Amino acid sequence: MTLSAESQKSIDSYLAALRKQLHELMDEDARDIVEEIHAHILDKTSSDPSPDSIQATLTALGSPEKLALRYRTDELLQRAQLSRSPALGLRSILRWATLSFVGLLVFVISVFGYCVGGILVMAALLKAAFPRHAGLNITHDANTWGVGFGAGSGPATGHDPFGLWLIPICLIIGGGILLLTFHFGGWSLRTFWRPRARATAVQLDLL
Amino acid sequence: MKQTLPPVPESAEKWEIQLRKGSLELAILAVLWEAPLYGLEILRNLEASAGLVVVEGTVYPLLSRLRALGLVDSQWVESDSGHPRKYYRLTDAGRDRALEMSRIWARFSASMSNLLGPLTQPAVQPLSRKRS
Repeated sequence: MTLSAESQKSIDSYLAALRKQLHELMDEDARDIVEEIHAHILDKTSSDPSPDSIQATLTALGSPEKLALRYRTDELLQRAQLSRSPALGLRSILRWATLSFVGLLVFVISVFGYCVGGILVMAALLKAAFPRHAGLNITHDANTWGVGFGAGSGPATGHDPFGLWLIPICLIIGGGILLLTFHFGGWSLRTFWRPRARATAVQLDLL
Repeated sequence: MKQTLPPVPESAEKWEIQLRKGSLELAILAVLWEAPLYGLEILRNLEASAGLVVVEGTVYPLLSRLRALGLVDSQWVESDSGHPRKYYRLTDAGRDRALEMSRIWARFSASMSNLLGPLTQPAVQPLSRKRS
């Protein structure tokens, strides 16, 4: 298909404006979008490549600003969805961690938070299941403490200061930490993640 | 004294646009059920099969979102037309979602048809026409 200089100029100008408007997206995503729209214009006008037909196709697509806004809005929706799913959020943070120091920091904090919260919740569950064998045992001899789980008999040299109170305490603190970590991950993604800054095009799980 | 204007009722056309927008995701998954298609083919299929005339600038961002959600995946394929085309195909998750959505649609549609039964009788006319 041969396009007139005028038609080619219209297309180039539209695509350049679209590319500019997509500056918030990852470079590869933006390039992909522009190439797809370019292919659409060529397909749509293949039987009639006149300037009028090209103009009608561009008009049907909407202005570059509007079209880019739709893509950006969708990305915002995706980010919102990320922030509702802990597993997807964590996986995305993991990918992010491979690309930037901030991502790595967020990932480390998130993993730490999920581990601590998870351990506390697990401790509560174990205490409920095995009240005599699980708990916070403070040893008398070395003045050290630790959370002891096991199938053996209860601690011989220590005592459990919380008893069954450990269950609600661990559930509340552990659950709180899990919740905080989850919101921290979502907030970090929404606030600090800048796709354009990524050197290589590695897609987030939901993106 | 500040006067408040009565709310303007939304036109049926606006409501229909919203309805079409809401069902577009299912429609796209449905047209991709049989075979992978590229953007313009999807648009033409929507129009031919369901009479859905979709604004072109709407369908591409939506396809991008469906891809991001893992419901479709895409691949650039060289074509005889001289330029590559981006083909979309349903993923397993997309097939599951399409089935789930179509079941919901069928249920919803049946219950609405039930509800609207009396309104669709030939004897029922709009009040405005009765008055005139």
